[in-house]
Amino acid sequence: MASIVMKNIEKKYSKKDSTIAVENVSLSINEGEFIVLLGPSGCGKTTILRMLAGLEELTSGEIWFGDQLMNHEPPEARSVGMVFQSYALYPHMTVFDNLAFGLKARGMSKPLIKQSVHEMVELLGLSSVINHRPKELSGGQRQRVALGRALVRDPAVFLMDEPLSNLDANLREQMRLELARIHKRVKVTTVYVTHDQNEALTLADRVVVMEGGRVRQVGTPEEIYGSPANTFIAGFVGSPGMNLWTLEWKLVGDSILMGEGAIELPRSFLPVLESAGSKVTVGIRPEYLGLSLVHADVKVKCKVELLENLGSHSQLHAHLINETPVSLIARLEPNTYVDPDEEIVLTTSTGAVHLFDAVTGERIDLLGEDYIENENRFTLS
Amino acid sequence: MISPKANTIIETPDRTADKSYSVPKQQRQRPRRLHYFKNQLVAYGLMFPSMAVFVMFFYIPAFYLLYISFFHWGILSSATNFVGLANFRTLLQQPLFFHSLVTSVYYTLVMIPATVLLSLGVALLLREAVTGRKRGSGIWRGAVFLPHVTPIVATSIIWVWIFNPQFGLANFVLTHLGLPALGWLESATWALPAVMIDSLWHSLGLYVIIFLGGLSMVPRELIEVARLDGAKKYQIFRRIIWPLISPTTFFVVVLSTINSWQAFSQIFAMTGGPHGGAGGPAFSTTTDAVLVFQTAFVYYHFSLAAAMSLVLFCIIMVLTLIQKWISDRVVFYR
Repeated sequence: MASIVMKNIEKKYSKKDSTIAVENVSLSINEGEFIVLLGPSGCGKTTILRMLAGLEELTSGEIWFGDQLMNHEPPEARSVGMVFQSYALYPHMTVFDNLAFGLKARGMSKPLIKQSVHEMVELLGLSSVINHRPKELSGGQRQRVALGRALVRDPAVFLMDEPLSNLDANLREQMRLELARIHKRVKVTTVYVTHDQNEALTLADRVVVMEGGRVRQVGTPEEIYGSPANTFIAGFVGSPGMNLWTLEWKLVGDSILMGEGAIELPRSFLPVLESAGSKVTVGIRPEYLGLSLVHADVKVKCKVELLENLGSHSQLHAHLINETPVSLIARLEPNTYVDPDEEIVLTTSTGAVHLFDAVTGERIDLLGEDYIENENRFTLS
Repeated sequence: MISPKANTIIETPDRTADKSYSVPKQQRQRPRRLHYFKNQLVAYGLMFPSMAVFVMFFYIPAFYLLYISFFHWGILSSATNFVGLANFRTLLQQPLFFHSLVTSVYYTLVMIPATVLLSLGVALLLREAVTGRKRGSGIWRGAVFLPHVTPIVATSIIWVWIFNPQFGLANFVLTHLGLPALGWLESATWALPAVMIDSLWHSLGLYVIIFLGGLSMVPRELIEVARLDGAKKYQIFRRIIWPLISPTTFFVVVLSTINSWQAFSQIFAMTGGPHGGAGGPAFSTTTDAVLVFQTAFVYYHFSLAAAMSLVLFCIIMVLTLIQKWISDRVVFYR
């Protein structure tokens, strides 16, 4: 087990091309921590993983495993176990040989190899298929073999590149649980790459959200979900993403009206809005919008377009009144009924409102512990 | 529709609406058959030109060869006598035939491993150059393939000059390295190796391209994961690359076996064929293919040459079947 430190790492694939795959990333990962790199395709998360593994050279910066500089160490010298998206199992070898290959290559004695492989096979529930070749295994079994092959060598660092993306939804959920269980047991420092926020939020000790080769936010899943650093993260994390509306505001009596009265905020937001300018981006997660009159400090007036009944909840698609193209999604109680084209008022508490700079999209860190009751913050309205 | 009077179902004119209605079998099959025959006609029409050439210049001569091997047949005479297996009996009494068999075996046994090792080695180097984004890898690939697209007779003539014992490049290099000059094509010992060098050089490009194709089928991730597993380069080659390219290697082995047994043009061009003396010196380069040619077109014993060809065909077929049998046990198909 080792801690990982990345200092200002950068990756450019071509000197001629100005595109930067990874730009000035610095990150410290503690021993035994489970870190998830989350971001859309092409954001540089796999490149970071490959640089950690030694499969890509750094253009600049430093990578440390513990107190050892890794920049010029070849992959075989890094004590890294890696699971690829495609599993990359040796197709001509049995499960036993796949797991034993790394141990043989490192010159371990035969009895010890046998013992280690059998222990790992037991841990992963693969005993019945130990003599099978990868093509004779199911997707989940292949996935477990890939995990086992990386873990059997007892690596200092465990890297996973979208390991669940080839599995169907049910199996993915099962394997996610299994991964969490295995990590709890082996406690190896893990860097996990995914674009699936469910995986990120459920597995990670900390999530690193990336966009365009840069780290946009590092935090616990709760921080990432509850206090997104900018509009990109607010929209990317959560399913569906946060409702974001960039509107002008004005003070009318004791209320602040935005978008010609479509959104009504209490006066307590005034100091923040004054410092933010005349236009601001307001964000409210769909699950915090409701029809309840309790915690109704914030009102959102909208016109219904469609109501989808999804069993566990109803999903409302609407647009703000007076702001026709500005759409809204709300997750309502099951069996809620509203008519199409009906004008309704959705409510939420002040704690569920996020504000972002209208120009930069950066979070306006204000939600002022001094004027918003924390206990209201994530209660459903 | 239900008739109000009789309360019976009246057949609706819209047949598609009635699921119980089905088109009579004959009617249904007619357009489908017509369409099928049309497709067949077009397919055979498109295949006809190449099939005609193939039948005319391959199958008819091949079957005719089978026919004349059982006859006493002359190209200029119309008289043919059935002689049964007499040609094969004569063949088995010819020491030169066995000598040519041994020469062919020697040639093939050297050529197969040399071809596989050399072409795989060059293919690995070229692949390394491509994956390592080295400059000029395309030029190297072109340079390796170029000899193969040059007629072998032309390249063989160049190699005749290279192997000239007095002023050839080969001896020039050898003497500069402090090694003794060789007689090459004038030596009974070195003439066949000289032909082998020419053949290897000429065919290398083809086999390198085949191996490059095979290597490209080995996923990059497998090599990467093996590196992460701590495997050295030779371990990666032996345990990962070699088994995964075994179908390609098998194909190269079969192809080079066939080509080696059929080697003729380079031997003919390099050992004085145009002057009537191919296969020398002292029959040291007389392979089966050369002997077949000489028997037919120098001694005009076509029936004996046909019998010889049949034996050669059988040998190649048996060898290929043996290789296939081995490959089924050794080659890994994904």
